Amino acid sequence: MSGEAILTRNFGRSDSHTIRAYVETGGYQGWAKAKSMEPAAIVDEVKKANLRGLGGAGFPTGTKWSFIPKNHTGPVYLVINGDEGEPGTFKDRYLLERDPHALVEGMLIAARAINSAKGFVYIRGEYVEPWRRFSVAVREAYEAGHLGKGLDIVVHRGAGAYICGEETGLISSLEGKKGWPKLKPPFPAIKGAFGAPTIVNNVETLSHVPHIINRGAAWFAGLGTKTQGGTRMYSVSGRVARPAVYEAPVGITLRQLIYERAGGVTGNGRLKAVVPGGSSAAILTADEIDVTMDVDGLKNAGTMAGSAGVIVMDETVSIPEALMVVARFYAHESCGQCTPCRESTGWIYKMTRRIVEGRGRKDDLDTILDVAKRGAGTTICAFYDGAVGPYISYIEKFRAEFEALIPHA
Amino acid sequence: MPKLTVNGKELEVPVGTNLIEAARAAGVEVPHYCYHPGLSIAGQCRLCMVDIEKTPRPTIACNTVATEGMVVHTETDRVRETRKSIMEFHLINHPLDCPVCDQAGECWLQIYYMQHGLYEPRMTDEKVHKPKAVPLGPHVILDAERCILCSRCVRYCDEITGTGELGIFERGDHSEIGLFPGRELDNKYSANVVDICPVGALTDRDFRFQVRVWYLDTAKSICPGCARGCNIEVHVNRRRPHHADGRRVARLKPRFNAEVNKWWICDAGRYGFGFVDAADRLLAPAQQQGGSSTEVTWDQAIAAVASALRRLPPEQIGVIASPKMANEDLFALRRLLDLRGIRQAGGRVPSRVPGDEDTFLIRADKNPNSLGAELIGFGGDARAVIEAAGLRRLKFLWIFGHDLLAGALPEGDVLEALRVVDTVVFTGSNANWTSANSHWVLPAAAWVEREGTYTNFEGRVQRFRTAIEPLGQALAEWEIVGRVMALLGEPLSATRAEHVFRQLAEAVPAFAGLSYQRLGDAGHPLAAVGAAGRRGAGIPASEATS
Amino acid sequence: MSDAPDTAVTFSEAQLAEVRRLQSLYPDARGALLPVLHMAQETFGYISLETEEYVAALFDLSPAHVHEVVTFYTLYFRERPGRHVVAVCHNLSCHLAGAPGIVAHLRQRLGIEPGETTEDGRVTFLTVECLCACEAAPMMQVDDRYEMNLTPARLDQILGGLA
Repeated sequence: MSGEAILTRNFGRSDSHTIRAYVETGGYQGWAKAKSMEPAAIVDEVKKANLRGLGGAGFPTGTKWSFIPKNHTGPVYLVINGDEGEPGTFKDRYLLERDPHALVEGMLIAARAINSAKGFVYIRGEYVEPWRRFSVAVREAYEAGHLGKGLDIVVHRGAGAYICGEETGLISSLEGKKGWPKLKPPFPAIKGAFGAPTIVNNVETLSHVPHIINRGAAWFAGLGTKTQGGTRMYSVSGRVARPAVYEAPVGITLRQLIYERAGGVTGNGRLKAVVPGGSSAAILTADEIDVTMDVDGLKNAGTMAGSAGVIVMDETVSIPEALMVVARFYAHESCGQCTPCRESTGWIYKMTRRIVEGRGRKDDLDTILDVAKRGAGTTICAFYDGAVGPYISYIEKFRAEFEALIPHA
Repeated sequence: MPKLTVNGKELEVPVGTNLIEAARAAGVEVPHYCYHPGLSIAGQCRLCMVDIEKTPRPTIACNTVATEGMVVHTETDRVRETRKSIMEFHLINHPLDCPVCDQAGECWLQIYYMQHGLYEPRMTDEKVHKPKAVPLGPHVILDAERCILCSRCVRYCDEITGTGELGIFERGDHSEIGLFPGRELDNKYSANVVDICPVGALTDRDFRFQVRVWYLDTAKSICPGCARGCNIEVHVNRRRPHHADGRRVARLKPRFNAEVNKWWICDAGRYGFGFVDAADRLLAPAQQQGGSSTEVTWDQAIAAVASALRRLPPEQIGVIASPKMANEDLFALRRLLDLRGIRQAGGRVPSRVPGDEDTFLIRADKNPNSLGAELIGFGGDARAVIEAAGLRRLKFLWIFGHDLLAGALPEGDVLEALRVVDTVVFTGSNANWTSANSHWVLPAAAWVEREGTYTNFEGRVQRFRTAIEPLGQALAEWEIVGRVMALLGEPLSATRAEHVFRQLAEAVPAFAGLSYQRLGDAGHPLAAVGAAGRRGAGIPASEATS
Repeated sequence: MSDAPDTAVTFSEAQLAEVRRLQSLYPDARGALLPVLHMAQETFGYISLETEEYVAALFDLSPAHVHEVVTFYTLYFRERPGRHVVAVCHNLSCHLAGAPGIVAHLRQRLGIEPGETTEDGRVTFLTVECLCACEAAPMMQVDDRYEMNLTPARLDQILGGLA
């Protein structure tokens, strides 16, 4: 199931990142149309399109925009989350490098919808080339007269912290502090960056917006499922023949994605498990891949669409080892602000490592499960819940493989 | 004013009240670490979870504002279980330092741990190690392993002192409280972080390893270090005298007073009690002559003083009181002077170096009762008394507390005065040059050894209470004066400081209507509040005839 | 101070003007802190304590709060790194594609452990979390660029090109 290439339509061109190529293929027409729409109408259109956030949370974008207080007189900020960091995800990198103007145009339309005159684009510090490409695109957009006439964009580099991908962690970092997420309430739409109402949107999410305006909400909605419209870019990696970014309608199944688009399973050729939505998503077994890859489809399957980072594992993969690698990641990236996450991510990593090294103890698995369940939902942000996803699902779905490593289990 | 229900009890609270304070108002304590009413909300410890009807998950109470109709439950099974979980998280990397940690007995990890019955630790891996016993400044020492990263100290240095010395560095379970490398925690209010640290991460260097807190007795008191009169608690060690080299006063802690010092005291006040148990304490009445000192009984000493006061004409008697004396001491002295018609009196000795002052708590006037002294008629300059002595007009000079050479009085004048006056009596707690050059030394109890009141610079009268027994034979000044008055045939009629205060309230209009009961624990403003009003409501300073 | 910087830690007039320009882009000047720290690292090679104090003064922040930021983020070096920084991803997809072998190969070739710098100051070797190039696993970041689809041979080639 391929469907039409919308976001990826220009990826084959070597000059796809230039404004010339962008305009040639219909770029900035959405903005031309949006300029004559009322902000509320833009919000409405995006709501009707069923565009869901594509950074990880899957929140309806139009609804998020509508949270900006109606009678607010001070500044409103539009902040772009280019801090792509979810393991298994690389789609935003492609967009920033190969089609940066899509984001600029999306920002122009979004800014109008929420009455913002200032946009900040936060790009993870490691993305040097994407940052350069996007900065050039911004300059081109200024020169073409799109920017500087109601919207200014500031490009801001991160400095290496996964937690800055959390929207309020990103805001803290933008404010010149550690990337510590903020207490909610208040929510960013009420009180966000620099104390002002703020909308934080993912790179890819906004890249869809010009198309929604151009071709209509009904068209976009019709591409997907009842509760989520459009296509999205699936990052597929791991033990597949053709690891790459694949754009597909959100109703595509995981089976289709792996076998029809990515060329099937490598390793010993037999599928064992799949991480469907970035490392924070609960793992699926080989029997569970007939799920549709939309937000609600995956939620109903007990996992999440997240950032659509699909990591495929064949039977030669050691799940305990995979959990150790993932646990190490969460321990390293915990910001340390709140107690449950700060203290237990390190401890759980130590336990998974002991298990992999053959020094596991009888109670370790139940301890990890219990600690994870106790901590879930108690933290300032969802980072810990993202850690809990793998902690619990890997052990519950592959328990025997863990127990085999534990002496006298 | 929103009405809400906490554990079935309905109550009304001011708009903007968070649920920890709302619960408190309902008589319910919600366990917490990072929340502090004097600091911004952090929401980091996650301990203060409560159940709110119509909210699916337990929510932190500190960051939730009470709204109309809210129904809160703080003791559901789910909340209790959540608290247990959060306690376990706090203890994962916490070192088992209790046997060597000063915080033991007043440690909130211990307290909540016992309350929640977390007796079986599951964490058997190597804990994260961090620096231990790191002095941060002259008063505070850090153990980074014990730190639960509640960030109270960081917020304190940012929001209260505005000095920003502390930060939380690194991330994850390697996060660490610390100073910028090479710097010190040396602001004038540094040790308040010890009070607000819920655990033994930040502890007091002065108190380190002195005595276990469960051996301490406490008394409510007022700091005598300046005219602010910060409310404090005096903690004394009676039960383990062999600890701490016989030091009886173990430490001072701030006591909350919304009108005076809120939760804070300055370091100078906090550590200003050394004189109480110092080796130079005056322990017994003594007669001194030609460099040698002979101990006498109180009866002998009082008799000598009374005799001089009876015998000498009032113009030949001079008195230098002190703004460090309590209202009760000063009033008793006032009665004595009025009884004998003594007018040559003062109380103010200008200081050589102007005291430091800031816009927070510290006052330049380093005396706790200047206003009280002024209102009771001892606001006059001691210079006039010294001058009269130097002109050989005085045959008797009674000095309370001052070391006259330590102030800005001309040294020559002081030396001459003490040389020519026939009888110089010194009453004070510690020996100094003046006491060494007096004929009679009457030992006074230190402020922690008796009770009384001070009047702070804003006119707030505040009680301080007895924390420990007087050292040696020392007596409160009002008691000493009272004994003299008894021998002069006009008893003070007071067996307790409160009796003297009652007399003061009746005699001096500024203090009208006040009583110990009315003062309570938070003190009470003087009757006449305006400065002009206060002046008019006092006793005119004794005239100094030149 | 145990490390003496090669050059005095001060920005030129032009750089100070750039600092002010950056500060003006944000509603609160503090927003420019990360960009200015990047600038300082590019200028001085790394962020020393002296640099932190210097930058703190430019922002009217306490040095402790600048130190918080520098120690929180992984891209700020607190000691002078090698002339080249080789950061190998060891997260899940790269692990599945053989990152441990890449790391082992580099340990052997460079003679140092991850986190260390070669004696001759040529290479700082790090293992890092997901660089989000999983389609080209195993991969690493060398200075500003991504080096993807690594093999031992490709590694040797890349190392050979680092002066």
